[in-house]
Amino acid sequence: MKANSLAASPRLLALIPLAVGINLAMGKFAAAIALPVFLDTIGTVLVAALVGLPAALVTGLVSQGALTLLDGKVMWMAFLPVQLTVAVYASWAAGRSLFATTPRAVVGGLLLGAVAATLSWPIAYLVFGGVTASGVTIVTTVLVGSGMPLKWAVYAASLGNDVLDKTATFLLVRAILVALPATMAARFPAGARALGRA
Amino acid sequence: MIVGYTPGRGFLHRAHPFTPFALAGAAIVWAFALPAPTGPALLAVVLAAVALAARLPGALGTALVMAAPFWVFLLLIHWGFGDTPGRALVVGSQVTAILVAFLMVVAAVHPARLVDALVARRVPFAVAYLLAATLQAVPRLRERARAILDAQRCRGLRVSGSVWNRVRAVVPLTVPLVLGALAEVDQRALALEARAAAGVRHRTPLAPPSDTTGERVLRWSMAAGAVAAVLLRVLW
Amino acid sequence: MTVRLDGVTFRYPGAPSDAIRNISAACAPGAVTLVTGRLGSGASTLLLTVAGLAPHATGGTRDGVVETLGHDPASAEGRAALAGRVGILFSTPWTQLSGMAYSVSDEVAFGPANLGWDRARIAASVTRSLALAGAAHLSARDPRTLSGGELQRVMLAAILAMEPEVLLLDEPTLELDAESADALVALLPQLAEGAALLVATTDLDRTVDVADRILLLDRGLLVADGAPADVLGAERAVVTGASTAIAEITRAAGCPPPYPLTVDAAVRRFGE
Repeated sequence: MKANSLAASPRLLALIPLAVGINLAMGKFAAAIALPVFLDTIGTVLVAALVGLPAALVTGLVSQGALTLLDGKVMWMAFLPVQLTVAVYASWAAGRSLFATTPRAVVGGLLLGAVAATLSWPIAYLVFGGVTASGVTIVTTVLVGSGMPLKWAVYAASLGNDVLDKTATFLLVRAILVALPATMAARFPAGARALGRA
Repeated sequence: MIVGYTPGRGFLHRAHPFTPFALAGAAIVWAFALPAPTGPALLAVVLAAVALAARLPGALGTALVMAAPFWVFLLLIHWGFGDTPGRALVVGSQVTAILVAFLMVVAAVHPARLVDALVARRVPFAVAYLLAATLQAVPRLRERARAILDAQRCRGLRVSGSVWNRVRAVVPLTVPLVLGALAEVDQRALALEARAAAGVRHRTPLAPPSDTTGERVLRWSMAAGAVAAVLLRVLW
Repeated sequence: MTVRLDGVTFRYPGAPSDAIRNISAACAPGAVTLVTGRLGSGASTLLLTVAGLAPHATGGTRDGVVETLGHDPASAEGRAALAGRVGILFSTPWTQLSGMAYSVSDEVAFGPANLGWDRARIAASVTRSLALAGAAHLSARDPRTLSGGELQRVMLAAILAMEPEVLLLDEPTLELDAESADALVALLPQLAEGAALLVATTDLDRTVDVADRILLLDRGLLVADGAPADVLGAERAVVTGASTAIAEITRAAGCPPPYPLTVDAAVRRFGE
């Protein structure tokens, strides 16, 4: 998105920091109670469904930056392409009303999980020697220990994790879109299309 | 373990905000471009020395604590099952060097100074605003997530124990957190608009940090050093 | 006239009916004008329309003529010409924070800095407006640590710092404790000297003493416009619940209108 069009929209200036806050708050919550998912792209997917692709891309970009500046998780910067792909995929999915029903959201999430895992795999394997978030890495370690070659162990672990995570994310975003009060929904007309109501 | 700005008087605190960030940026390039395994390991040691000289032992400690799990898993995966530890040492050093560089920079540069430096360089207002506002919004939403969770716990929600218990806590947290945030959007947008934040041409930096020729030279040399490392790596 | 409305109607996006309907009024500096009615009467919307935020920022549709300082405030041309010249303060102080400042003085400087003023002018304006709003002692504090009352004063200073010629206060005392609310209301006459001042409020017991003029709205229609004693003392205002507690009590006691609005007025009327 051009900085100009962003500057002209205080609404996006207000929305994006809050969406990033949702990403990071949910990510911290999921880690704190040791869930097998990250939940740290909910804000990005939500912005894609409510507003559109450019705002979602900015949300993804700013989220990775905020992880570095606030949590010191500079390593996650390497996964920026994955965040941006989530934004692109989610706005495509919203345009095709993939949030309209629970089964559609599950399919949409499964697909995104496969895409995200395939993208993050080379980054995790080549840059980090297979070591990423601790939950995923434990699975990788177990798989390697049981004799699987490292390359495939990294892929299997991140595929399992990403499929779960993105399916949960799509279901949660659907729950939010459904729960949106009518007055608020009227302010985000794109959300109606994501739910297949327009 | 504290991540983020810590008040101090070291040379990184006094420097123009761009200088520490130039160092961190160059550190990323060096970590991957310098000949392994000695290069990244040496880089990590040098950066640790810089952190101590800049009177940022806390940031160094945090970086080492954050690097520790990487080391454990790297050694386990690459060495524990009979392989050689070479790859683990390389990746471990790279990760450690980058963590030390960024955590000391984040500890030394106050966000307000960074934003003012960006504004003074005519970076678009939207970029400066998103950076600043996000750094304030994230802690606020995390605080609110905790408050919502506490409230739901009081109403009998269980967020510990079996995986199923914990999974069931997700929806009662997510929906109120997100709806609350979305309800704020329009109020905040009106308030921003009322304070001339729409279509800002040239915002005035409130306290532009001072820059020196020496620092400029230093930043350019670090950039040149990064480029040189890449060229050497490619051509050698 | 500083602000002029002619046959103005506004409807929010997706709303089933108009928030304000066919309103004509004008306003100039020198008088404290309260815009009142029951909750949802359209008073806040009227202010948003004068500021141009409705429909520019809220969406929705507007009919009729709005002229603020000689411009249509919702048009692109008007928005550029009016930036910083129309100040609006909202009821919740927390959502008005810029999110960019780590000190109160930087928070107050947010608007002037966006306008591109030079630093000397910004500093002078920040000092002056903090003093006027009674918040000078807070200037070094982190705005995120302030109480609601302190924060609302700071936000008032933040609006005043842009030196607005039109000042719109939307339920400014709604979230405040009694003491902070009284302090803010006491400032109103002074604020009206330098700017055309419109205050949307349902807190008439507190504000009626300083009011010079009342615009009474009922379900989006302007039903009365005049001096407080005439508008709020009339049967219609008291029946619709848009008046003061004293007026309601005297009506309930069976006295004939016009009803007195304050204890003082009641004593004068019934004291003899």
